[in-house]
Amino acid sequence: MKISACRKSYRGKTVLQCPEMEYQPGRIYAVVGPNGSGKSTYARLAAGVIKKDGGGMAVVSHEKPICHAGGSQCQNSEWRKNTRIKEILYMPQKSFPFRMSLEKNILLAGNDRQRAAKLMESLRLSSLSGRRARELSGGETAKMALARVLMKPCAMLILDEPTSAMDMESAIAAEQLIHEYTMETGCCVLFVTHDLSQARRMATDALFFFHGELCEFGPSEKVLYDPARPETRTFLEYYGGLGQK
Amino acid sequence: MQSAIQKAIELILSGDRELGNILLVTAKTCVTSSLIALFMGVPLGILLGAWNFRGRRFLVIIMRTLMGMPPVVCGLVMYILFSGVGPFGRYKLLFTVNIMIIAQVVLITPLVIANIETYVSAIAPLVQETSIGLGLRPWQTLMLLANECIYPIFSTYLLAFARSIAEVGAVSMVGGAIAWKTNVMTTAIMLYTNRGSFTLGIALGIILMSISLLVNIVVTVMQGRLNR
Repeated sequence: MKISACRKSYRGKTVLQCPEMEYQPGRIYAVVGPNGSGKSTYARLAAGVIKKDGGGMAVVSHEKPICHAGGSQCQNSEWRKNTRIKEILYMPQKSFPFRMSLEKNILLAGNDRQRAAKLMESLRLSSLSGRRARELSGGETAKMALARVLMKPCAMLILDEPTSAMDMESAIAAEQLIHEYTMETGCCVLFVTHDLSQARRMATDALFFFHGELCEFGPSEKVLYDPARPETRTFLEYYGGLGQK
Repeated sequence: MQSAIQKAIELILSGDRELGNILLVTAKTCVTSSLIALFMGVPLGILLGAWNFRGRRFLVIIMRTLMGMPPVVCGLVMYILFSGVGPFGRYKLLFTVNIMIIAQVVLITPLVIANIETYVSAIAPLVQETSIGLGLRPWQTLMLLANECIYPIFSTYLLAFARSIAEVGAVSMVGGAIAWKTNVMTTAIMLYTNRGSFTLGIALGIILMSISLLVNIVVTVMQGRLNR
């Protein structure tokens, strides 16, 4: 999946500038950086929610995702075989709970009740399935939004701080679910996070944004533990401890 | 005053024919005009609130200005347009219930559009972002937005109905308040008060206030159920 070089400005001020990037199927990319560094803007541009300067969408091309689960798991996935592959699915930072039950909210993304039940069970939402989405807590709404976006296979999954409102136990379950989804569909995942330990747990690669620019990009082992750029080193020293594996 | 109220209640309970005719004309005018305004105003309000196009702000300003249009100005414009020398004079609608409905539609539609636009513009960015993220089609997003607007649509309808039933300037100018033909509650109250016949005026006032009370009760009851 290629995302073209993009630039985004608001009222003449550039908030994001990023070169063309290529993302490999089956890999999980953590997008990290301080507040206001352009992480969410990049996610929104990649998802096609906002247009880059001069108009047009940021995504230029994509290939059909290849399953990296190692044969049997992919072949046996009736769900993946029988469902139309979406190009990009995106979970925004503030997902909207529509005026209907939790289960209906999840089924909005696809009519597969079996899949919805499995996702609700994994995220411990089964007992709340009939409850109105507006009555859910912040964490429950985030879990519902995650389940909703995982209803269909896609070429690229973009998640903007998917677990920031969840407790630790739910966040771990969500991470597990994202991992399973990546293995099963072979898509690439771009997830924005403030939680460095989560980025280290989940990501195969990392992008570090600073002051609206992509500062560093590479395998997470390198970027999140032994970065080359001083900006990344300062950030890691402050938030997550440098070089601590 | 007390005896006038007593007489008014007796008049309501007796099923007076003239009172019945006034209520019928009022119901026909107000229900029709508020429904037409709703069917025209809701889609336009949703589009105006959700769709960012060139000239949108200008249209919003126009709609908000039209919301405050004095009914007599609306009545005057309609009178000129539909009078014998006006461009629509050949339809001979002046002093009929139909022209009263048209005048009220002109008066109420901007209110419906502006109300729905205000609500939709607040939630549209979040709804659109979530919908795009889920790969939903534009018409599905529009349906979801409409579903989110059920309570505002309901309350806006009641507001439009309340405005039309309480309106007097436009309907008296274009309808002429002709007894047994175009006399509605508000014009009748004015007419009977001018004649010194307070009993019928008070009876109509009681009915108007009762309708207003009923509308408010319905809104309050539905608010909790729909706004979830």
